[in-house]
Amino acid sequence: MHFTQNLEDEQFRQEVRAFIQANLPTDLAERNHRGYHPLREDIRQWTKILNRHGLSGGNWPKQWGGTGWSPVRQFIFDEECLFAGAPPVDTAGFKMIGPVIMTFGSEAMKAEYGPRILNGDVYWGQGFSEPNAGSDLGSLSTRAVCDGDEYVINGRKIWTSFVETAEMIFVLVKTDPEARQRGISMMLVDREAPGVTIRPIHDIGESHSLNEVFFDDVRIPASNLVGEEGKGWTYAKFLLENERAFSAEWPRNNANLARLRTFLNVEQADGQRLIDRAGFAPRLAQLETDLLALRWLSLRALHEKAGGQSRLPMGSLLKIRGSELLQKIGDLQVEALGCYASYVYPDPLANAAVEKAWAPGPDYAPGIMADYFYRRATTIYGGANEVQRTIIARSFLEL
Amino acid sequence: MQADHAEDLASIREQARRLLVDQATPEHLKNLLNAPGSFDQALWRHAVEQGWPSVAMPEQVGGLALGWSGLAVICEELGRLTGALPLIANALTAHAVISAGISGHQQLLEDLTSGALTAALALADPSDSGICSPGAAKESNGRIDGVKALAAFAAVADVALVHGVNERGDGLYLVHLDQPSVKRQVLEGFDNARAAAALQFEQTEAVYLGGAELVSEISSLAALATAFEQLGGTHACLDMACDYARERRAFGQAIGGFQGIKHKLAEIYCLLEIARGCAADALDAWQQQRPDKQQLTCAARIAATRAYNLAAQENLHVHGGMGVTWEAMPHHYYRRARSLALELGSVAYWRERLLTDLGLESTTVEVGGSA
Amino acid sequence: MNHELRCYREDAQAWLAEHAPRYSGQARHGLSFDDDLALARAWQAHKVEHGYGCITLPREYGGAGESELKKVIFCEEEMHYDLPLVYFGISLNNPLPIFLRYAPQAWKQKLGPATVRGELIWCQLFSEPSAGSDLASLRLKAVPTEGGWLLSGQKVWTSWAQIADWGVVVARTDASLPKHAGLTYFFLDMRSKGITVQPIRRLGEEKDLNEVFFDEVFVADEQRLGEVNGGFKVAVETLMIERYAVTDESGYGPTLENFIDLASKARLNGSPALADGEVRARIAETYVERQGLRAIHRRALEAFARGQEPGPEGAIRKLLLGRTRQNLAAMALDLLGANGAQLAAHGHSVNDFARAWLDPSLRIAGGTDELLLNTLAERVLGLPQDHRPDKGVPFNALAK
Repeated sequence: MHFTQNLEDEQFRQEVRAFIQANLPTDLAERNHRGYHPLREDIRQWTKILNRHGLSGGNWPKQWGGTGWSPVRQFIFDEECLFAGAPPVDTAGFKMIGPVIMTFGSEAMKAEYGPRILNGDVYWGQGFSEPNAGSDLGSLSTRAVCDGDEYVINGRKIWTSFVETAEMIFVLVKTDPEARQRGISMMLVDREAPGVTIRPIHDIGESHSLNEVFFDDVRIPASNLVGEEGKGWTYAKFLLENERAFSAEWPRNNANLARLRTFLNVEQADGQRLIDRAGFAPRLAQLETDLLALRWLSLRALHEKAGGQSRLPMGSLLKIRGSELLQKIGDLQVEALGCYASYVYPDPLANAAVEKAWAPGPDYAPGIMADYFYRRATTIYGGANEVQRTIIARSFLEL
Repeated sequence: MQADHAEDLASIREQARRLLVDQATPEHLKNLLNAPGSFDQALWRHAVEQGWPSVAMPEQVGGLALGWSGLAVICEELGRLTGALPLIANALTAHAVISAGISGHQQLLEDLTSGALTAALALADPSDSGICSPGAAKESNGRIDGVKALAAFAAVADVALVHGVNERGDGLYLVHLDQPSVKRQVLEGFDNARAAAALQFEQTEAVYLGGAELVSEISSLAALATAFEQLGGTHACLDMACDYARERRAFGQAIGGFQGIKHKLAEIYCLLEIARGCAADALDAWQQQRPDKQQLTCAARIAATRAYNLAAQENLHVHGGMGVTWEAMPHHYYRRARSLALELGSVAYWRERLLTDLGLESTTVEVGGSA
Repeated sequence: MNHELRCYREDAQAWLAEHAPRYSGQARHGLSFDDDLALARAWQAHKVEHGYGCITLPREYGGAGESELKKVIFCEEEMHYDLPLVYFGISLNNPLPIFLRYAPQAWKQKLGPATVRGELIWCQLFSEPSAGSDLASLRLKAVPTEGGWLLSGQKVWTSWAQIADWGVVVARTDASLPKHAGLTYFFLDMRSKGITVQPIRRLGEEKDLNEVFFDEVFVADEQRLGEVNGGFKVAVETLMIERYAVTDESGYGPTLENFIDLASKARLNGSPALADGEVRARIAETYVERQGLRAIHRRALEAFARGQEPGPEGAIRKLLLGRTRQNLAAMALDLLGANGAQLAAHGHSVNDFARAWLDPSLRIAGGTDELLLNTLAERVLGLPQDHRPDKGVPFNALAK
């Protein structure tokens, strides 16, 4: 297998760094170095910057604005961006529904949404899970009935992230209630359409990123059906496999571990560094090893995807390793904070009412606890890790 | 040895459980979590009426003299519903004052026993994840200067036991918190329901109660009683997760039928039983003043912290998306498991304390250099 | 624990202190297999003379007719010595009691006392290549013939079959019934015609396990224990006879003290190994687990003494000790460095980390880790049973 980086790739990395240095606004970088959710405004601003340079499309097909980079170069680009503190582009649009539209959508659909996604003009919410269909997505019950050149949707979706600021929602619906997976279709719904109601779910991180979405006789044009009726399950699997590949979250893991590494090296009040105390070093070493393994796994996944020859359920592997590593890094960060981990630090940059001086503890403390709570969900969303392990057992180990 | 108390303890447990189920409703608990420095005044009033603060106190100050096992029973029940009351702090403050053998505190002792006053344990320093490097609070001539890290109930308590240093070394001090020279800093925390505050002293009057030995005894007893609170929480998490796993269906069956879930829960059950065994043995050791009481307490603390952290984390996970919602209950335990783990020092700290007690002090093993 | 039991323990301690040294430790050093076995038989006979052999079995067969709790107490004390007990571990604890419960009187008189004295050894022929954790799916068949049955098939993992005189065996007598319902239980002479015993070579060269082949072995019908097709019940009863089995608190591996001793002599990255965080964490974890298990054990005995049935303590203990023995041994070998790869010629798993590491069978035999977790989850936590597609299906209709 050849996915080692050659000299040209290293040169490419230097160019990316130079680009970021020249174009990434410093206030934006500073905000995103902390553990808080990136602000939507920041994402929009950065996406537009990228798009102006023709770089936002990444690994999309070239005719629809993609860069034509090799997977390795795309990886390097993402890695450098996050490391420098750039906010990630809208995952739902770029990594989830975008590729589905580009692969399965009509030409009209591609033309309508492609450019808007690339310019950060449309944000997406994902309407997959339902109260009784989480990991077991096949048992969803939201219904869409064809009525002339429209569909009428009724039902309820849950865990829909950031839908309150999204323009569009992509949903999985039953078009044939008798069939199980073959009765599922994928559709695009305008969030402002009459009959769409959003109820926020208060989460443990005390942010409001999660929502329930109710569909009450919502009418959408029939042209908003993605691909064909009854093929929604196929598209969803394609999308989820992409989501899982992305959920390795290598760049975020990389950035978080770098942060942990830094503060284990900081001298404490007693003159000792945490890394010198019994217990921290072996655990950091384990995390470093896991991170390296995740990096190679991510690269290998990209490589195999480009060659179309994967024998492994890569998405599931990446999802498990990536999500659990995020939590393990978080655990050690919290332990390293000691009693400063008791505090919840409101984002001082997002909230003008909060004075910086007010927060006790070291300057690396803010953000850690918010992230720690938020990341509990990583082993649950995108298909719980138990389900991913079952997929590996079944598809690769043939159990 | 406590056969004569067994009935008293059982009835206290029964009473505590009923009162807590009644009072600690989800809505009530969520309100407490919402505001920094919350103290459950209502529950404290009920507890005082029922005489809970007096359970472990000796008879000469008006206590029921049921010993640490009485306190343990109530702590376990409190933990089950994530209730938060300064029972441990009150009992240990009284115990420290009595052990010090200083006079003139009869009224204080009686008030701690009746619950008219509340106490806080300010053992941890801001700069360390353990609880025994007290360099940040220094005493001389009966006045103390410096800071203590976030301590439960310090936002509302009348007195605190403060771990500090003087020129002779470690000291445990009684400090009245109503002095103007005391600053309490209440900040948004992830577990707001413990009335926690960081403390700052400036030439604050402090009564010396004892040295390193007393600090060690008080922190051990605090860890022991807290272990029972952690046990209660662990048990509640396991019950909750099992209930949910029996009810929630996916792929045509209750998710508790999948080994990925059921084995996880069985592992937690094992940790719970190990923790329960350690805690019960440590309690016996204290009641009989056995020489191994310190090491058994370390074991109890480590086992209980591990069990509660894992149980709380996996209970949340088993609840899936529901687990990360504010509305569901698992996050209350997730927060409490972590705040109890932080307040009295990390597992790493207690591990070193255990090994030191076993004669394997890390400072006595030579690091680097020649063999 | 009450006064009587305390006295019993003190008496046992004193008796063992006086008698055990002649049969343990130095006395066993360098003995051949046969000599060690002879010593084991002598120790068993000696115990019987003094009322410590087969404590719970009736006096008429040479037992002491005492409570299970006294047996637990004696075993705990006996375990402090390195005595040759393994050869009787199965014989006296499972096949013999079930035999005495079900066999015809004349047979009991004939075999009971000699077995109790250690002159006869029994084995237990349960597991098969296709029936391990799932015992009821065994295939060895028993076909009726005049006056009895002809047994054909294969058993595996049979401890001490090579020295056994008698055995208990479960066989399939009706394949048209669901798997649990078509089994019958027998006892038989291990020297019967048609039996072949093949030793199984193990990682650490332990000589306990065998395969046993049956080729039309005749067993008289009077050697049936329980009803025809009622054998599964008797098999479960056999396994449940010891309601509370005493096991060593290091899982028959080296102790935590052995580990600390080794660690205090070892160096790691140029420093004493005892200064290493991982080593310290392992010591603390093992201490905590052992402490918890001791407390659980003590409370279980107290409950037992009050007449309560034992709970899941045994399952927790076996599950945790099996893993700890393996993990602690692996870390010990790490600390020995490259020399850790040596295997001492006369080492034994109770005092040699390499041997303990080479034998992880505690996690497999007598209920695998997975089975124990299922037991805890289902029996204690009330979680649903695993999906069992063979439930209620005739055995001969199941996929092979």
